[in-house]
Amino acid sequence: MQEQKNKIPLFASWKSWYLFVLVVLGLFILFFIWFTNAFS
Amino acid sequence: MSNIDWIVLVLTLMGIIAYGLYKSRTAKNLEGYFLSNRSMPWWLVLLSIMGTQASAITFLSAPGQAYTDGMRFVQYYFGLPIAMVIICISFVPLFNKLKVFTAYEFLEQRFDIKTRVFTSSLFLISRGLSTGISIYAPSIILSSLLGWDIFYTNIVMGGLLIIYTVSGGARAVAYTQQLQMVIIFIGMFLAGWLVVHYLPEGVGFADALKVSGASGKLNVITTGFTEKGFDWKDRYNIISGVIGGFFLALSYFGTDQSQVGRYLTAKDNTESKIGLLMNGLVKVPMQFSILLLGALLFTFYQFHSAPVFFNQAVADKAKNTAYADTLGKLENRFMQEQLQQQAYSKTYVIQGNEQFKDSLKLGSGKMAATQKAYKAILKKALPASDTNDTNYIFLRFVIDFLPKGLVGLLIAIIFLAAWGSIAAALNSLASCTMIDFHVRFKGKVYDRDNAEQCATEYRVSKYYTLGWGIFCVITAEFATGMGSLIEVVNILGSLFYGVILGIFLVAFYLKKVQSNAVFVAAILGELIVIAFFLMDKYNIIGLGFLWLNVVGALAVVILAWIAQQLMPSQKALHTI
Repeated sequence: MQEQKNKIPLFASWKSWYLFVLVVLGLFILFFIWFTNAFS
Repeated sequence: MSNIDWIVLVLTLMGIIAYGLYKSRTAKNLEGYFLSNRSMPWWLVLLSIMGTQASAITFLSAPGQAYTDGMRFVQYYFGLPIAMVIICISFVPLFNKLKVFTAYEFLEQRFDIKTRVFTSSLFLISRGLSTGISIYAPSIILSSLLGWDIFYTNIVMGGLLIIYTVSGGARAVAYTQQLQMVIIFIGMFLAGWLVVHYLPEGVGFADALKVSGASGKLNVITTGFTEKGFDWKDRYNIISGVIGGFFLALSYFGTDQSQVGRYLTAKDNTESKIGLLMNGLVKVPMQFSILLLGALLFTFYQFHSAPVFFNQAVADKAKNTAYADTLGKLENRFMQEQLQQQAYSKTYVIQGNEQFKDSLKLGSGKMAATQKAYKAILKKALPASDTNDTNYIFLRFVIDFLPKGLVGLLIAIIFLAAWGSIAAALNSLASCTMIDFHVRFKGKVYDRDNAEQCATEYRVSKYYTLGWGIFCVITAEFATGMGSLIEVVNILGSLFYGVILGIFLVAFYLKKVQSNAVFVAAILGELIVIAFFLMDKYNIIGLGFLWLNVVGALAVVILAWIAQQLMPSQKALHTI
């Protein structure tokens, strides 16, 4: 288990990876809302 | 096309085939042919996942979709990153732990043989049909360019593809997809840059966005709410995108063998997970960029002459009928409206005159109405022809405006994108047929040390790949007249994906539900999905196709739970 944990690149745990992916999605949606309002 | 374009096209395609054959040297057993000996790093898994999902349809239809309907289609991908996380938590560790070849193998271990066969059969039907459509998409290009009958172009396209896929196996599929994706990104970037570059002097990227935005093409986020409340029939909005898109992506990446087969080629759990999570990170911006290209193309055609109908071959054919005069009048009307629109666009952008924003939107609406009237006449003139030109919009721009050499490269890219996804699909169709049916019912356990058995299975696997290739070409012959191909593929997927996902959700999360309950629930669930689809088709209810995934998955989960309460407990409970 410890060996498996050490192999995870970039973040300390898979939970951090999952959170990172979801936060990036949220940021994209916020950008798209701004984009739609700015140009429509 | 010029000679230079033909040379670029032929050299690129031949280069990919040669590279695929070179990389096809792998262990001649089932694990080598279907899973590349489980040896791939995460970045190859990522490119393979992306190459499998992004077919020629993606590059043909998506810019056209943005051109006609705006960029709101991107919302369809909002559920994908969430699905990637769930798959990494629940699906990947179990598939890797059990060392399965196909996702459906797991279902026999969890439930029984009939559930495995039923689910695998649903996959074979839906994937076989949608792969046929994926062959048809690039065939349109050959047909449009060379004036060949679509019947023969399907055969030429499918024929080349079968040779390459049968010889290649999963390893060749992954390595060629890697090269294909790099070429695709370069080509699409160049096309986007040229669209902006060809705008009139003084009109830059931001101005182009202003024009397409004023015409309603930059509607990336829509809510789906109207004055009458939420519109369930609205196909793309943030709610259906997050919820429906999540269920569709969960089913596609978690239970569709054409994707599961890609991340099973990874050398371990970590490589599979990183490949999937990176896909979750890059898919939304990638799709946004492709759609933005379509929106920019719309602006481009506000300053350049656009055809009233983008499929030139059909328009020319219609002019030989009794409707020629009517079509001519509509073309003249469209030209006048276009000149007016060009004047509005220039005033709006160059002089910064904001009051022309509404005029632009109004003008855009008038032009769309003329195009609609033109298509209606085309349908009368040629009832058997496809009057949906969404798939031709980007193609027309490539042929009419790109410089020599780049036209050939862009056409090659559409072929490469098609081959990437079709190759993966044929490989997965063959692996399911071989593993879930042939090997399973022959009663022989896979033994990698038995050289004779391995050689036979390897040879038979190639025959199955060939057989599925022929089936898909035949399907492609029936694909004409289906409208926007990207939507047809997604609708087809939605008819089956929800139910398949429901079976897997029960397997993972409802541990007490046994095989008979889930089997009955799956059959009822599929009937419910088909009933909802038909009721929508005949306007009894209004339901966008993305919701079919939700309906199917929830129906199976709920019905399986109810059925389990009503049925006597089976004696041997399968445990993992």
